[in-house]
Order: sequence, then structure tokens, then C-alpha cells
Amino acid sequence: MPLGARNRINLDLFTDAYRVTGNTTVGVGGINAELVNPNSSYLEIKDAYVSRINQPGEIVTSYTTASFRKDNINFIVLQDRRVGIPVGTQHARSIFTRGRPVPIFLTVPSFEIIGEIAHEGKVTPLNTLVKSTGSYLLIFAAKASASLYPQIAYSGDLIMVSKNRIGLFCLGADNI
Amino acid sequence: MARIFVIDDDEQLLRMVGLMLERGGHNITLISNPHNGLEQLKANKPDLLVLDVMMPGMSGHDLTRQIRETSELETLPILILTARSQDIDRDTALKSGADGYLSKPVTSQELIEQVDSLLTQKAQVSRQSGSVQGMVLALFGLRGGVGKTTLATNLALALRRVSQQEVCLVDLSLSISQAAFHLQLKSQSSWADLLANNNFDWPTLNDHLAIHPTGLRLLAAPPLPQAPSTISTEFVRQVITLLRENMIFTVLDLPPVFNPAFMAVLEISDVGLHVITPDVITVRTAVQTNRALANANINIKQKSFILNQTSPTAQLSQATVERALSGRIPFHVDYDPNQIQALPQGNPLVLTAVDSPLPAVIKRMADVIWKRMAAKMKS
Repeated sequence: MPLGARNRINLDLFTDAYRVTGNTTVGVGGINAELVNPNSSYLEIKDAYVSRINQPGEIVTSYTTASFRKDNINFIVLQDRRVGIPVGTQHARSIFTRGRPVPIFLTVPSFEIIGEIAHEGKVTPLNTLVKSTGSYLLIFAAKASASLYPQIAYSGDLIMVSKNRIGLFCLGADNI
Repeated sequence: MARIFVIDDDEQLLRMVGLMLERGGHNITLISNPHNGLEQLKANKPDLLVLDVMMPGMSGHDLTRQIRETSELETLPILILTARSQDIDRDTALKSGADGYLSKPVTSQELIEQVDSLLTQKAQVSRQSGSVQGMVLALFGLRGGVGKTTLATNLALALRRVSQQEVCLVDLSLSISQAAFHLQLKSQSSWADLLANNNFDWPTLNDHLAIHPTGLRLLAAPPLPQAPSTISTEFVRQVITLLRENMIFTVLDLPPVFNPAFMAVLEISDVGLHVITPDVITVRTAVQTNRALANANINIKQKSFILNQTSPTAQLSQATVERALSGRIPFHVDYDPNQIQALPQGNPLVLTAVDSPLPAVIKRMADVIWKRMAAKMKS
């Protein structure tokens, strides 16, 4: 994308109790840059359609524009990983191309999420959560299930999970 | 050609979906305001609705529920087309009463395939609830090389496209399966496989039908040449009876043979289409064929001529041919240079070159035939 260009991406965004489907406009830095932009604590969603977590297919209300407090976002489901990988790390020798897939299980309020992270080096929660850059953990081929309604699940090529909202965090294959 | 309504608040997407469906041969009405949708649907009763979910003020699920509660629209096929692509979204769409679901972005092929599938399902349901006998059309002529298989294949495809009903093409050729070649279908079985079974039923016959991507079915001819006596009168009667009960249209491509089985086919067909080319030998053959049929007391319910010009120059004018045959020729197919390309590529012209001379006439024929059949089905 040329410098200064803006691009519209579709996303499913989840808070503790709501699912919001819409689109947002991003610049050359992609969705990552918008999420960490220090000039605004809010993320603006266009054509926002709001559903409750227990009835996620039904639309409660819709608005042309909705704003989200960024620290209230649990995770974002994207159907194309290229939209969510930070710009500049998508090609050549980035962690997302040379890292090995590591199975992961984690929880955020109201949801449990499984999938894979791309990781290089020793796999520890410290490395993954603290030493990695960015405020969102990128989980590939991911599935988020509602804790209270496990039959309700959302799949995405990529789920971006807010690190601040993570409760339980498990790395590696299921050992039990 | 089906009448399809598309409801989506995004006018850009609405136009794009409309264009895709138009290219699929359908008649489209675009509605950008879902609040007007129900009234327009009630007033026009389309054949199918393509509906978005995320629309301001009224979701596609709400509109679907309203449609299902409206008595005159309860059987309207509804295809949900939405950017919400989760399994839960599919479940919600189907629970609200939709018949199909596609998530955006969608390719033209996916959309048309799903639309055609829903239209076929609707046709099958309405057919099961009624007891309409299908129409049988036989293309015949005792002179070979007049383009009969080309016309039969294109007519069957055009009928499939215009009606979205079940259509079967039967290649009764005694040499190799030419229709399968036209359609680029590798048929594993043929009518010859049914000959051993004296009393086959519909499921058995259906197992022997090849299916073209458009949904057209084909009963192919055997891969090896057969003697004319191979096909008996009882056999063709059985095949046609079963197809008449289970298909809306059966198009028969008869070989240039004059024997009891093929005379029986002409007698039980609803329409006999005599294919001729504008040359002296073919016209003389046609005149003699008419005499032979009259002498054998073969009464074709409705007979018509198709004048098919297979070379750039016509030896005889249409008026001369009409005088020789003592009858009007309602369908004249001009020489179509595109046919030379279409045959080896396995792409019949009605699917690829709609403005070309051959498909233009074939489409007109299919429209006339389908209108008559639709009226019969309604009554």
C-alpha cells in the first residue's frame, strides 16, 4: 500500500459481552498501528452491527459509526492473516515466516481461545507474553469459544488477542 | 432465466451481485432498502431472493422471518449472502428460514451454482407437489451431418438455463456418444448398459445419467457403434416414460435411421423437430421422410422444421425450401463460424457466445417452449 493510502478491512471484534461486526479504515501500518496509536484510546468501527455473546447470530442494533475503548477489546477475529500481521514483518525473514507453530490455549473474559502462535527460540510464557513486541498476541488458525456457551465458537485465520486481557495462558500440546 | 431479487444496503455490492447473476442468465431486480423489500416481494413474487444480513434498521434474519410468515412467500427460496462468515452465522440464517447461505467475498461461480441449486430444489418440490408430465422433444432427420446433435445439445442447455428445471438430453446415436463430446463429459455409462435390464426403474436410469456443471443430465450413447436393431420399441418407450415422469424437459437426439423404435419415439414425443440444411439432397430427403412417415401412419403431435445452415453459403433460399416442403420454417439458424471452435473445446455456444447466430435462435426456441410448459405447470 503506498504511503498515505488508507484501506478498509472487515473485522469481528469482541468485548466481554458483545460481538461487533464492521469495518475500520487503516493506514500503511495496518490494524496493528491503529490499535497501538497513542493519539487515540478509541478504535473507530464503521457500519457496526452489534450482537450479544449468547445470541451471536442475531443483530441487536446497528450504527454507521461506533467507537471502542481499545483497552476494552478482548480479541479481534480476522479471516485473512495478512490483514493482521504487523506491516514490515509479513515477508522475508520475520518471525511469522521463520517461526515454528506452537499450540496455545488461553482465556480472556468470557472466552477460551485455541490456535497456534509463530515462535522462534525457547518457548516460555515469559518470552511469548513479556518479551514479544506489540500489545496483541497473534494466534493463527484460531478458534474462540464462549466459556458459558461452548457451542458458540468463532474461527478465524487469525485472532488478535489483547495481551492485557489474557487470564490463563498455556503453551504447547495438551499434556493431560 | 429466473427472476431474482437482491436486497443489500451496500449499493456497490448490490450492483456487483446483480451483474454476476445477470451474467448467469437471470433477470435481476435490485433493492437497497430492506424496509421496502417485503412489499416489493409480495407484489412481484420472484423466483428467488438473495439477501444481505447486515442492513441498517432491519437485519436479513428479521426480513427472512417476515417472509416466512407471509403466506404467499413462504416457499420463496432465500439465499443469505453476508460478510458474517462464522458457523453460528450460517446456523442463524438457516434457523431464521433461509434456504442457503454464502459468505462474502463470493465468486461469480459460487453464487451462480448456489442460486441454480436452490432454483432446482424449488422446481423439484413444486414438481413433487404437482403431477406435471414433462415435455419430450425429438430432433430428427434422415440425413446425417445437418448439425442435429449441436442443436439438440444447445437446446437442452438453453432449456435448462431458461427454466432452471430438470432437463435431460438423450443421445440415441448408434455410433459414438457425440453429445458427451459436445459437453466435454466423460460418461461412465450409456443407454446400452440399460439394455440388459428388461424392467429398469427410475433410480436405475438415474444412475446412468451424467451431470453437466449446468445441471443438465445426459443419457449418453455407447462408446462403440451399435446395430439399429439394438434398440427396441419397448426400450425407448420405457426410457421416455421414466424421463417424462421425472424431468420437465427431455430432448432426444435421434440417429438418421428409419426403424420401428425411432418411429415409436416420434409418435410418443410431444414435439418433433425436423432438422434440415438448405441443400438439395437434404431437402429431397426431408420430403421423402415426410412421405415415409405419412405412409407408416406416424402421427407426430406437433412438428416443426429447423433450417440449419452449416456452411457459409446456402445452396437454397429459405423460401425455396419452404416451397419444397409445403410448409413454413419457423426457425432458421444462420451459419455460425463460432461453432467450429465450440465443438472441440466442449463449450456449447449457448453458454459462451449468447449473441452468436446459433444461440440467438436456440434461445428464442427455448423461450417459446418454456413459456408453453410454464403455462401447463401453472394450470
